[in-house]
Amino acid sequence: MRRNPLSLLLANPLAGVFAVLVAIFAISALVSPYFLTGYNLSVVARALAFIGLVTIAQSSLLILGELDLSLGVIGGLCGVVAGLLMVNYGLAPVIALPLALLLGAALGFFNGFLVSSLGLHSLVLTIGTAGVYGGINLVLTRGVAITNIPREIQVFGRGDLFGVPVPFVIMLVMLALASYLAAKTPFGRYMYAIGNNPAAARMLGVKVDRIRVLVFTFAGFLSALAGLLMVARLGTAQPSIGETWVLGPIAASVIGGVATTGGVGTPLGAIFGAAIIGIIENIIVLFGVSPYWQGIVSGAIVVLAISFDAVSRRYLRKGGA
Amino acid sequence: MAFLEVRKLGRDFPGVTALNDVDLDIELGRVHILAGENGAGKSTLVKLLTGAYHPSRGTIRIDGRDPAEDAELFRNIAYVPQELTLFPHMSVAENLFIPFDRSGHGGARFDRRRLEAEAQEYLDRFGIAARPSDLVRTISVSDQQLLQIARASTNKDMKVLILDEPTSSLTRSEVDRVFRVISGFKDGNHAIVFISHKMDEVFAIGDDYTVLRNGEKVEAGRMSETDVGGLIRAMSGKAVDFEETFRPASAPSTQTQGPAILEVRNLTGDRFRDVSFTLKRGEILGFAGLVGAGRSEVMQTIFGFLGAKSGNVSLDGKPWTLGDTSAAVKNGMLYLSEERKHHGIFPLMSVRDNIGLAIYDQTSGPFGISASKEKTRVSDIIAAYDIKTASMNKEIVFLSGGNQQKAIIGRAMARTPRVLIFDEPTKGIDVRTKTEIYRIMKRLAEDGVGIILVSSEMDELRKCASRIIAMHAGEVTGSFDTEATDNETLVGAIFGTEKNHAA
Repeated sequence: MRRNPLSLLLANPLAGVFAVLVAIFAISALVSPYFLTGYNLSVVARALAFIGLVTIAQSSLLILGELDLSLGVIGGLCGVVAGLLMVNYGLAPVIALPLALLLGAALGFFNGFLVSSLGLHSLVLTIGTAGVYGGINLVLTRGVAITNIPREIQVFGRGDLFGVPVPFVIMLVMLALASYLAAKTPFGRYMYAIGNNPAAARMLGVKVDRIRVLVFTFAGFLSALAGLLMVARLGTAQPSIGETWVLGPIAASVIGGVATTGGVGTPLGAIFGAAIIGIIENIIVLFGVSPYWQGIVSGAIVVLAISFDAVSRRYLRKGGA
Repeated sequence: MAFLEVRKLGRDFPGVTALNDVDLDIELGRVHILAGENGAGKSTLVKLLTGAYHPSRGTIRIDGRDPAEDAELFRNIAYVPQELTLFPHMSVAENLFIPFDRSGHGGARFDRRRLEAEAQEYLDRFGIAARPSDLVRTISVSDQQLLQIARASTNKDMKVLILDEPTSSLTRSEVDRVFRVISGFKDGNHAIVFISHKMDEVFAIGDDYTVLRNGEKVEAGRMSETDVGGLIRAMSGKAVDFEETFRPASAPSTQTQGPAILEVRNLTGDRFRDVSFTLKRGEILGFAGLVGAGRSEVMQTIFGFLGAKSGNVSLDGKPWTLGDTSAAVKNGMLYLSEERKHHGIFPLMSVRDNIGLAIYDQTSGPFGISASKEKTRVSDIIAAYDIKTASMNKEIVFLSGGNQQKAIIGRAMARTPRVLIFDEPTKGIDVRTKTEIYRIMKRLAEDGVGIILVSSEMDELRKCASRIIAMHAGEVTGSFDTEATDNETLVGAIFGTEKNHAA
């Protein structure tokens, strides 16, 4: 069967979410004169960078058939630990930041190790570890932000590279890495296989436990990175960093075509999903919607977006099939 | 006029015509055999008859009326799929009467006692040993199979009962139970449509038959007017030699000769005890036994999928790490599970991914997996094992069972294994594809691979294996030279009636 480029584009599983993203971008540009300004777009991109890193992490875990509810807390804890190391212990950022990243990876590893070795359900386990990691954060900071973060690291949070926010560039680099891993390496393909059918993957000789632990570790690392960039952005290490990074990345992943049952979707799709949510939240602010209403409006639009995607996918399957 | 009448029925899918120009007449009080190879269109036809698919052309008449106008008519047709579709954590009685409104148990309040009392009648009639309050996951597989048939019959409107391979995981005596149930339905003025690849069963129970091939009806008539050869010729389009055996010429002539490739000593696991045997290079070693005798568990333990309690295994005289499937694969051992769905395929992934997953060592370069190399390798494998699929990018679940099995075998062969364990490799596979699989096994053995064949079909074991080890209730009950042993001795060992170490 010969197919024209348009139908090939539509056959791509990302077509639906991409169409929604373009539509929401276009509508936003039409309804608000402030949306397309350079300043506003860089605000959107910068916000997307932090949530995007966690979204890459969470979508990778979802593809594997797992979930980590402690990712946000890991980001927050690593942020304050970096702050403490630099401010209270006077460590140079070149030492403190890698240590904090290492801590994030270790916390993710710990989650993955327990899930693999004891066969725990990751959802339940990470509710527990989120409580522990968040508690450590409060014990260390007593809920008070750490100020006087060295100025030289602020470039990672506030700086621009050729007019593009630095954290956004870092997020794109991580996205490229995760996408390459997922699509082009045996490691990544095994992630999908495990998400699809873990027993069959073991029967094939795939090192299921090792891959699981590594993806959890990678996710912890990305969350720590998001936390550090946030500290650089704010100039203070707030204990509350990451509190809002739990449900957003899961919603973004699902909007972007990642199945909560595992084995389906891509990190790129999840980032499209995060961008949709980010633009919606931005436009609500631009319209000056009362903060009390923001939750209702952004929630409702998310529901609309996934409904539209589901309906269009069903339509495409019927029409194209 | 027949109760269920199908005329010139056709169904298209994108790029394929799955069914074309099919006629079918199902009469009440008779058992109709629906025969055909894997992928011949049987499943598509069944889905059209039960209303799961809409026809692209042609007509269906149920009791003289068109179900396209009155979908309620589909209630007359009950379908029992090959796979178990019960709810394991619900009781036998609940499973029996689900959906409740169809079986007269609808309504706002749920009367468990009445449900269980009524369930007992069905259990008695179908000879199911379980109690109505038992959870389904705790009852035996054969009881589950019968329960699934019983469930279909709680549909008060049922006239035609379609059974898709209802006996594939049953023993001889359990098959007899199913057949008694089927005969009971004949008296009750129902019709049975029976789908099976087992020729002896088809001829034991069938009155009429229809043969499909490549989506078209090729033959129909009375069972009394055909024979096994005729039916197989109709299904495959060519004659099959029943006398052909597939024992490898390379097999060592006696047990004491030939280089050992795999040695298992006193292996004990959760469901088996003290299993010892030796596999030699170039032989096919059969494992006979009833369902649940522990054969699969032994194999999965050797492969490292299940944990061992004690005992040891050595490969080429070197000790073998138990409990690590990736080490097993790396050392050249592969296990092809009987549970294709649970242990074999990755359902949401394409044929290409399903095969490609096993051969990354051949398709990856310094910059990751090469798409072009993978495509070439996968299309080679698709061609070599004659896997019928519209495209390599199609999800594997859309392939017929036989083609899924060939994809899994092709994927395994691509890794050039040295020890290969086939667990019920021809379950649900048609006669001609079976022969293809036997030939593959023979060729591999003659190339020096050691092969273990676990099978519940005595005929299959006799055809392929040079030696047969029998197991009963988790223990080895005998080891036999195929040529020198009669069926009675083997069956005795399978049922554990005698300990026997002949030959």
